[in-house]
Amino acid sequence: MTTTSSFTACTHRIRAFIERGGGGDTAFATLVRELFALQFAHVAPYRRLCEARGVSPESLGDWRQIPAVPAAAFKEFELTSLAPSECVAVFHSSGTTEHRPSRYFHSADSLAVYEAALRPWFARHVLPTAWSAFRPAMVCLAPPPQLAPHSSLVHMFACVSATFGGSGSRFLATVGADKAWQLDSAAALDALREAESAGQSVVLLGTAFMFVHMLDELARRSLCFTLPPGSRLMETGGYKGRSRELPKAELHALLTDRLGVPPESIVCEYGMSELSSQAYSLVANHSVFHFPPWCRALVVSPETGREVPDGETGLLRIFDLANVGSVLALQTEDLAVRRGDGFELLGRAAPAEARGCSLLAA
Amino acid sequence: MTLPNYFLADLPPEADLTPAMVTDACLTLKRNRAHYLAVRDTPSILRTLVRTGEDWLCDDYPFRRFALKEGPLHTGFSAHTLATGLDHFFKQLTGENIEALLAQELGPAHRFDAFCASNSDSRTRRLALATGPELVGHITAGCVPNAAFMAILLGLLTRSAQFIKCSRGGAFLPRVFLHSLYGSEPKLAACIEIAAWRGGSPALEEALFAQCDAVTATGEDVSVEKVRRALPPRVRFAGYGHQVSFGYITREAISGWRAKKIVAAAAADVVAWDQLGCLSPHVFYVEDNNVGFALQFAEQLAAELERREAAEPRGKISTEDAAHIAARRAIYEVRAAHSPETTRHWCSADSTAWTVVYEADARFALSCLNRFIYVKPVLDVGEALRGADPVRDHTSTVGLAAQEHELEGLAKQFARWGATRLCPLGQMQNPPLTWRHDGRLLLGDMVRWTDWEQ
Repeated sequence: MTTTSSFTACTHRIRAFIERGGGGDTAFATLVRELFALQFAHVAPYRRLCEARGVSPESLGDWRQIPAVPAAAFKEFELTSLAPSECVAVFHSSGTTEHRPSRYFHSADSLAVYEAALRPWFARHVLPTAWSAFRPAMVCLAPPPQLAPHSSLVHMFACVSATFGGSGSRFLATVGADKAWQLDSAAALDALREAESAGQSVVLLGTAFMFVHMLDELARRSLCFTLPPGSRLMETGGYKGRSRELPKAELHALLTDRLGVPPESIVCEYGMSELSSQAYSLVANHSVFHFPPWCRALVVSPETGREVPDGETGLLRIFDLANVGSVLALQTEDLAVRRGDGFELLGRAAPAEARGCSLLAA
Repeated sequence: MTLPNYFLADLPPEADLTPAMVTDACLTLKRNRAHYLAVRDTPSILRTLVRTGEDWLCDDYPFRRFALKEGPLHTGFSAHTLATGLDHFFKQLTGENIEALLAQELGPAHRFDAFCASNSDSRTRRLALATGPELVGHITAGCVPNAAFMAILLGLLTRSAQFIKCSRGGAFLPRVFLHSLYGSEPKLAACIEIAAWRGGSPALEEALFAQCDAVTATGEDVSVEKVRRALPPRVRFAGYGHQVSFGYITREAISGWRAKKIVAAAAADVVAWDQLGCLSPHVFYVEDNNVGFALQFAEQLAAELERREAAEPRGKISTEDAAHIAARRAIYEVRAAHSPETTRHWCSADSTAWTVVYEADARFALSCLNRFIYVKPVLDVGEALRGADPVRDHTSTVGLAAQEHELEGLAKQFARWGATRLCPLGQMQNPPLTWRHDGRLLLGDMVRWTDWEQ
């Protein structure tokens, strides 16, 4: 049994911190240090990395020095403090070309923290302003949880649908033999028609590639909708080769054209299966993302590993208190520009265009 | 020094090329060729090339100085890396070497000048004359300039007008070389055009290919294939797709008195052109037999790369390239912490300047380059070749460090396996002028023969 009483107590404190909406830098630093010490003690592959770096809970100076584990390590190592008997869910990274996905294990407790973390930040950024008086239908361009039990995104959609969604909430995709998600176009069109005729605002949640599939279907049928005022679209993730790729501005313009949703009602989300908190952009055509107060992002220089000055580009490193059962410090391969306490996402560092003639992509 | 506007590549980057400009340039090249190049004999061209090569080896030659001063900004290589790379190429540009190249490819050196006979021609009572294409188009990739330099050299020897299309950012060194040629022989340089545009500009390429009677292309397999498909059927084509290289070091060699030299030679291969050429090693296989030679070699290589960085710094790289190195290092750091007996890594401090990864897994690994090298222990050459099997059809050079008595056996194994060039470690990026690129004749695809039976 690795979930010690101190782990449980720390998890409760973190959950309370999240439910209070954070609590200042000092409280964050205290909890981060406490969680790091527990993860150092209970996540063996992580402890080995820390020891190789010469960092221990005792020697740690600033919390920003906590060693970040590369997201790719989740494919090779079981970065979890949980005993197998405690696991109630495993989230895998998406992507059809990946031979070996990342695995992120959850216990009932850690899943509860995950859900506690995702709800308020989602509500603040995605829900229509009048949501407390009205439960909008959550139309998810994704398969239902029983078809995609390892998708953290689907779990999130299910959680927000159950918490905030009205009676018309539904999932509108299936999973193909190749594990790719397939939009149920007829059901999607029905959902749009219903929303338009009922005149009640609706929230559409989906990945960029599922929105592209939907737009292609609308274009094929020469259809346009005007979703009721207050409707929101939340778009997340990349394309992973699952549809033609559109620049974000073009995708949003098409969504505005075809669905009648103004640009300021389109929200972008940034999340990963290895994280428990999500970042959102505040305005659709402005790509600056913010994490909630219990999750901090640093933009670090790939050359030195140190935080870059404001306005400069580097790799995104995330410290997520809600990652209670795993590792709180995650080194992504995403490039971002530091913008105040947020970041402008540039996307995955694509295999660099080789300047020589050894052009095999690594 | 500023370069005058002689070539399309001299136009400011914002100047858009049009198909009409490409067509006009090709027609001018053909006219100039007829007047200035087709009438030249081999010895005179050879003299010009040798003189230009000698100029480039002089420290105070203005074009060399310009290339070293401005090159870091345009190419991303440090001045030292540029100087070393340019010196290696131009030292090869001697009359003796060019004559050897002509002899290798054509037999008698004056095949382009008159009907003449090799020994085998004489035995069959024949004379033969070689004729080069009127206009050759060269599609080059990357900013290691050797492929473009060789293309220019071969094109001049075949008396062909040439249009060199570089990738954006890859034109700088070939362009300075052409200006130097212009400086010594404007009429010869007037038979060569150089331009840079982004690959996959079909209108420009169609205009170019319509005028060419031969085309060469280097780059990614997909790009090379695209060029081939875009050519009219009458156009001759020589394509050189992506290639990788690696080194092989025997137990006897690394355990002997030459160990230090072998490490220095390996470092030279990693440092040359910042490892960005297709002849640069991705991996060094080291015969080990579980006694730690490979680990020791990796550690010494790291120390050597650190020393080299101080004297011959790697060029500045983009944030994206640095991010790739950082991401790759990060995963090896976790593996090394977890299984130090099978994975170790050494990195430059506070930079991505150099990285050595020791990995006890013989599977070939593609480096992210920019001085990022794998060292892999193997029991014997058989294990190395099995590990490298996925890149068997893409392997160019194998750099060898072995004792004299081991070399012939190894060479045969690598050759039968499919490698097209074997060389001593330390020389991987310095092929001789006569190097049969990717195991093929240099002029074989370009030349038309006329046999005259007596």
